[in-house]
Amino acid sequence: MSVLRLHPQKCTGCLRCELACSYMQTGEFQPAKSVIRVSPFEGHTSYAPYTCTQCAEGWCMTACPVGAITINAVGAKDVLDDKCVGCKLCTIACPYGTMFYDPGTRKAFKCNLCGGAPACAEACPTAAITYEDVATADWLGDFAVERTARVLAEAR
Amino acid sequence: MAARHLIIGGGTAGMNAIRTIREEESEKSSITLVSAERPYSRMVLPYYLDRSIAESHVFTATARVLADWGVTAHLGKRVTALDTAANTCTLDDGTAIPYDDCLIATGSSAVRAPVPGADLPGVHSFWTLDEARGVIAQIQPGSHVVMVGAGFIAFTILNSILSLGAKLTIVEIAPRILPRMIDDTGAALVQTWLKDHGVTVRTGAKVARIEDAKGKKRLKFASGDLTCDVVIMATGIKTNLEWLKGSAVKVNQGIVVDDYLRSSVPNVYAGGDVAEGRDLISQKPAVHAIEPTAQEHGRVVGANMAGKNVRYRGSLIINIVEVCHLDVASFGAWDDAGAEAASGVKADRPAYRKLLWRGDRLTGAIILGRSGDIWTVNDVGMLKGLVQSGVSLGRWKEYLKKNPFDVKPAFIASKTTSTLLPETVLGRPSKAPGETPVAV
Repeated sequence: MSVLRLHPQKCTGCLRCELACSYMQTGEFQPAKSVIRVSPFEGHTSYAPYTCTQCAEGWCMTACPVGAITINAVGAKDVLDDKCVGCKLCTIACPYGTMFYDPGTRKAFKCNLCGGAPACAEACPTAAITYEDVATADWLGDFAVERTARVLAEAR
Repeated sequence: MAARHLIIGGGTAGMNAIRTIREEESEKSSITLVSAERPYSRMVLPYYLDRSIAESHVFTATARVLADWGVTAHLGKRVTALDTAANTCTLDDGTAIPYDDCLIATGSSAVRAPVPGADLPGVHSFWTLDEARGVIAQIQPGSHVVMVGAGFIAFTILNSILSLGAKLTIVEIAPRILPRMIDDTGAALVQTWLKDHGVTVRTGAKVARIEDAKGKKRLKFASGDLTCDVVIMATGIKTNLEWLKGSAVKVNQGIVVDDYLRSSVPNVYAGGDVAEGRDLISQKPAVHAIEPTAQEHGRVVGANMAGKNVRYRGSLIINIVEVCHLDVASFGAWDDAGAEAASGVKADRPAYRKLLWRGDRLTGAIILGRSGDIWTVNDVGMLKGLVQSGVSLGRWKEYLKKNPFDVKPAFIASKTTSTLLPETVLGRPSKAPGETPVAV
């Protein structure tokens, strides 16, 4: 399956992915409702996007007591709104912090790869997010080690 | 002859076991389900109570679905005896069911505090679907509901009661609320939050007796009686294991199981609330009466009944409740007195974090914050990931101790994702709930 491949060294922190994601997912240009989140590193001198890995276990999916999380046509774990009751079990089951909950609709929501045409990847002006047929991976670990060296040294 | 699997209990563990047997087996087996109730999810009863879902939404398998899965179902029946020498169980109607292997997943029941009047009509428990029906019929807008007990179960229905327009008073015998879910600091923040949201909480209050009072109920205390319309007793649960007395299956706090969820009788498995299996953090046997443990136990048992040899890594305590749009969650050994702890509090939001350490690994966490705060929701998951993965945090430990509200860089730079990605409960990618093979 294709997944979102993140290239953190290319991210400029422009947040276009968050705008595009929130619009695609909720119909609102509201980064707070984006399921891809850009994080600052090194005191806002570099940035990286972070989102669901579409992991093999699907902790959110197996945890759901009413079968409201399924695998969609492109292989992404996807919330079925009419089945989700808003119990939040998926938000504590997901060990990556990529399950979201909307207090307004009382539903969980997450990255569903926009059904095969991820808006974040399309919106990214620097190709820091690409949609590729590769195995999912930890795209940010090495980058974060390098870009947090200073903040970590200061914390001692 | 096809293998004969017997599943005793149609709750989370039992239904996950059935689905997993069908997913994993190489040739079709015979599955028999005995369940005192129709299979439903207790987790979603609060949403039935607040009428945001219909009753039909709570069922996890209809008669049609059970038929599609090729399950012979004895619903409304209880097992009264298990003869592990003859490999036969007996139902309350006298039916004898032979099996090759069986899963005991009979769950828990609500227990009421031993208070005179606790069994009066109009005094309710909220645990089973039947009990939920009883409560729903009684609560009207403007009703005064008194909940006896301030534990996790009480808190799961708190929002529902309020959203029905009822006035709520919580009475707790202990000096504080949520004793088995968060620490004193967190509990104090929640108690203040409740007061600000119009919920009266009385701690250290022992109900002496409950009596009828002209169509209402009166709760008598050493001082200050309460009169209300509905009493809900959320004073604890106990495992449903009385029926197993006299069998060869070894019971301690729960049924003692090994890492394959087998009891002392090798072809008898146990899962969910009745099982005493490995705790992921302490590595010691424990009874975790929580939904995620039942789900994982059920799947592991199902795979093993289907002939796989899946070793269970142990279960992680995870709990979350939302209290009037305040998320309260805890993970792992959050109450480990021998752990190194660091915390941070923002009383005005409110927001609270407590992180517990053994060496440079996070072994427990408490997190409290507003439901609308994205960083709270994200950190809830990442703290779970740090506790679950047990990654070595190295120098990030000192950083997190000073900055408990900044979890993400520590999570990412410790390569927690790399550690977690290969982890699966069954040693293979999970299947979607709708993909259970039809076995008719």
